[in-house]
Amino acid sequence: MVVAEVPKLASAAEYFFKLGVEGKRFRPTVLLLMATALNVHIPEPTAGGVGDTLTTDLRTRQQSIAEITEMIHVASLLHDDVLDDADKRRGIGSLNAVMGNKLAVLAGDFLLSRACVSLAALKNTEVVSLIATVVEHLVTGETMQMTTSSEQRCSMEYYMQKTYYKTASLISNSCKAIALLAGQTAEVAMLAFEYGKHLGLAFQLIDDVLDFTGTSASLGKGSLSDIQHGIVTAPILFAMEEFPQLHAIVYQGFDNPENVDIALEYLGKSDGIQRTRELAMKHANLAAAAIESLPESNDEQVRKSRRALVDLTQRVIMRNK
Amino acid sequence: MLFCRGFSRISRNPRTILLGFILSRPTGPSQSLLSNQYLNSTLKVCAGRETFSWSLPAFLGIGRQIHHQSSSIIEEQLDPFSLVADELSLLAKRLRSMVVAEVPKLASAAEYFFKLGVEGKRFRPTVLLLMATALNVHIPEPTAGGVGDTLTTDLRTRQQSIAEITEMIHVASLLHDDVLDDADKRRGIGSLNAVMGNKLAVLAGDFLLSRACVSLAALKNTEVVSLIATVVEHLVTGETMQMTTSSEQRCSMEYYMQKTYYKTASLISNSCKAIALLAGQTAEVAMLAFEYGKHLGLAFQLIDDVLDFTGTSASLGKGSLSDIQHGIVTAPILFAMEEFPQLHAIVYQGFDNPENVDIALEYLGKSDGIQRTRELAMKHANLAAAAIESLPESNDEQVRKSRRALVDLTQRVIMRNK
Repeated sequence: MVVAEVPKLASAAEYFFKLGVEGKRFRPTVLLLMATALNVHIPEPTAGGVGDTLTTDLRTRQQSIAEITEMIHVASLLHDDVLDDADKRRGIGSLNAVMGNKLAVLAGDFLLSRACVSLAALKNTEVVSLIATVVEHLVTGETMQMTTSSEQRCSMEYYMQKTYYKTASLISNSCKAIALLAGQTAEVAMLAFEYGKHLGLAFQLIDDVLDFTGTSASLGKGSLSDIQHGIVTAPILFAMEEFPQLHAIVYQGFDNPENVDIALEYLGKSDGIQRTRELAMKHANLAAAAIESLPESNDEQVRKSRRALVDLTQRVIMRNK
Repeated sequence: MLFCRGFSRISRNPRTILLGFILSRPTGPSQSLLSNQYLNSTLKVCAGRETFSWSLPAFLGIGRQIHHQSSSIIEEQLDPFSLVADELSLLAKRLRSMVVAEVPKLASAAEYFFKLGVEGKRFRPTVLLLMATALNVHIPEPTAGGVGDTLTTDLRTRQQSIAEITEMIHVASLLHDDVLDDADKRRGIGSLNAVMGNKLAVLAGDFLLSRACVSLAALKNTEVVSLIATVVEHLVTGETMQMTTSSEQRCSMEYYMQKTYYKTASLISNSCKAIALLAGQTAEVAMLAFEYGKHLGLAFQLIDDVLDFTGTSASLGKGSLSDIQHGIVTAPILFAMEEFPQLHAIVYQGFDNPENVDIALEYLGKSDGIQRTRELAMKHANLAAAAIESLPESNDEQVRKSRRALVDLTQRVIMRNK
């Protein structure tokens, strides 16, 4: 799908889809599982079975959502890297470092436009609306992060809103899109949405923890990249509730590396890490609950997928990298 | 992108232009300013005045004569931009409020290009609004509390939405292009990226693009969504073609025209087609709208290419020469290359060396490059006008007026000298 008329653009866009550097393909996994979990009946594939056409059509369309979602996700990564002057992404040189900002911006636009074309081809205006909203949220979230005032930096509410926009909206709305394509009711679509939302939030909260703890349970072994970029995440925000003195430090910002050390010290003394894990667990459980509220099904595939989706909520919590 | 009002007007009646304003403004039930009766009597008054006609600069030779309608309604001097000026203001207001975002800094960044005075000439929205009128088979008279209007005003609002969406996409592409080109000026003011940094320019472009997507989705017409999504893809492809041109491709007229279609004409052609689709027109009419937009866009770009060399004078070298200095080879040079094969080698080398620019200009001066480009532009302008004239007949005066304006635009595009 990423084949373009201009070879250079194709190679730029493909950069992130190369085997081995495509990340864990987390989002598409969720979406494909959700697709199975919501498809009331999947007939066995029969030789030249005509009765399957509608269902395989549906499956193809749902796969399309997974592809579109991934393209949008990668497009936002490409632009974010330009914005952050990042030189590494997914363990390899980021596109902008390797090929220049210009091509990275263009490649991101290209992926976005391809996603739009694929989206339009689904001929479902509600789905188009959902995904269009996602793009808007991604931009808003990134902007919120770029233009945070000192006060907003101290607000848990602002942080959660930004996190929803930046991380959870994509998963929640594409889960909902999957449900809509399957012709499910509004209630089921909402459950799919809730699953995606809580899963996404849980994912990001653990991400925040790992940025401090790295692969060890103790502080300071993580990459600390958030705080060094002046991004204040949940652990610090919780610590600030216990130690109001931390407010002043956060307010000053983290251009001064000493502030980073002071903040880490307070964090260590506080329950910040633990409370963040608990919040993540809460969201993970809400996600699992959404799956369990789905209308019963006897189909083994459906049940298997639903168990897998619940399983994912635990993996998101328990991972340590 | 500035149009010169180069016509010599035999006599210009401001009131007639004002009439044009009022007639073309979408009026709701509460806004009807003119009754039918007043309209007819005013027009009768106008009929007594001199007929306006186009005076085409002689040296251009072929021009198009405006068809004189057999009806008794006079043809006043049309200023296409005035016809839709009020509606455009409405659009601009809506665009501005649409761009209000949760994060003020982003809104101010995106609004940057919509500020009054720096929004360029609003060429695209003008074309689209005129096209909307030209294709709307029937616009009922505004009646007090008229329910029958809802569908039509709804249609008009949707068509206005296309104009807004198109402009947002256009500006988004400008913002990103400026980042790509490290441009420091755009529309006469500091470009956004120079003023606010690349990061915010990228984000502002993304923001406009996403807003456009949301508005597009709200139209609930998947064919229209497809069309506009294709436009975005074409813009990106065109820009990439320009950025990554190989030496051979640089010498190819075919490559150049393809790139020009992607970069300039696709937006206008596909949004014209979208206008037609929203109006429920047939596939044939939609195709005519598409053709108009395509040929208008191509004509526009070809004259742009010429002006980059000639500037405000007919002679070479007074233009900004920015294309060639950026290594972008345009139609005049490509034509010159056909006459002077020696020029191939220069073009192949590229234009990092300023001496090559001088050599190329010399060949261009000796060649028919400029003239042939103008002729090609004229050809496309005529094709655009022909598309309008192929539209199914209409007796509606608004419709006819808008169609005349669209044809008028094809001439203005050719004749401008800045």
